[in-house]
Amino acid sequence: MELQTQEVANVLVMHVTGRVDHTTAKQCESLLLPHLEGCTGEVKKALIDLSGVDYMSSAGVRVLMLALRQCQKQQGELVLAELSPMLQEVFKIMRLNSVFRVVATVRDGLAQLSPAAAAMYGRA
Amino acid sequence: MVVMTLPAEISSLTQCLKLVVECARAEGFAPQRVTEIELAVEEAMANICLYAYPESRGEVEVRCGLDEAKHFYIELVDMGIPFDILAMSLPDLTVEPAQRPIGGLGILLILAFMDYVTYHREGAHNVLRLTARRPQLG
Repeated sequence: MELQTQEVANVLVMHVTGRVDHTTAKQCESLLLPHLEGCTGEVKKALIDLSGVDYMSSAGVRVLMLALRQCQKQQGELVLAELSPMLQEVFKIMRLNSVFRVVATVRDGLAQLSPAAAAMYGRA
Repeated sequence: MVVMTLPAEISSLTQCLKLVVECARAEGFAPQRVTEIELAVEEAMANICLYAYPESRGEVEVRCGLDEAKHFYIELVDMGIPFDILAMSLPDLTVEPAQRPIGGLGILLILAFMDYVTYHREGAHNVLRLTARRPQLG
């Protein structure tokens, strides 16, 4: 798996790609969580783009839960965007839609988190 | 039946899942169904790798085949501590989101994606069988 980050105004967009299973989840955790340290309140918000994730097991879901807990502890906001149909099914089975803020697209997520970021993304 | 014996370690997952995916494809499952089967097997296999041998190293045998009714099964056999995954209490998904358990969610995928799941103890072995009905058989 790989992680690329992008700052759009006050939103940190994290693009996760590849496979997040029990063999790669630790790597995902150590790549992802440090980026969330600065995500507090209005200063910086977080969006995880999962459009590039072709496979995610419970080990990957655990990393997303840890990311959410970390943001909540810091009064930060986290949104998940662009889940594949398979991942949507996993979320449904685990009833995670009541736990995470899940949106269809990165653009939708930015619009929810920050008008400034949404405007900037539109110009990009 | 195809059989592969692997060390009961997380690093064996890739080989195990490659075998399962190849067998499932060969039995005519659609790509999405193959991924569902793969996810279920990953959860079961990871559980064995993480917990079956708490104080030693051990092995797990992966068997793929068709049962008497011609349904596709994956059997995971280990000689670890007796452990019936089906007797585990399921995570409580009704509690407040902030209190939701972070772990223990894998069992939900096994139960949701497989048509039948059975466990039995055979001598010193744990035998976990995951079965998926083949598409053409309904």
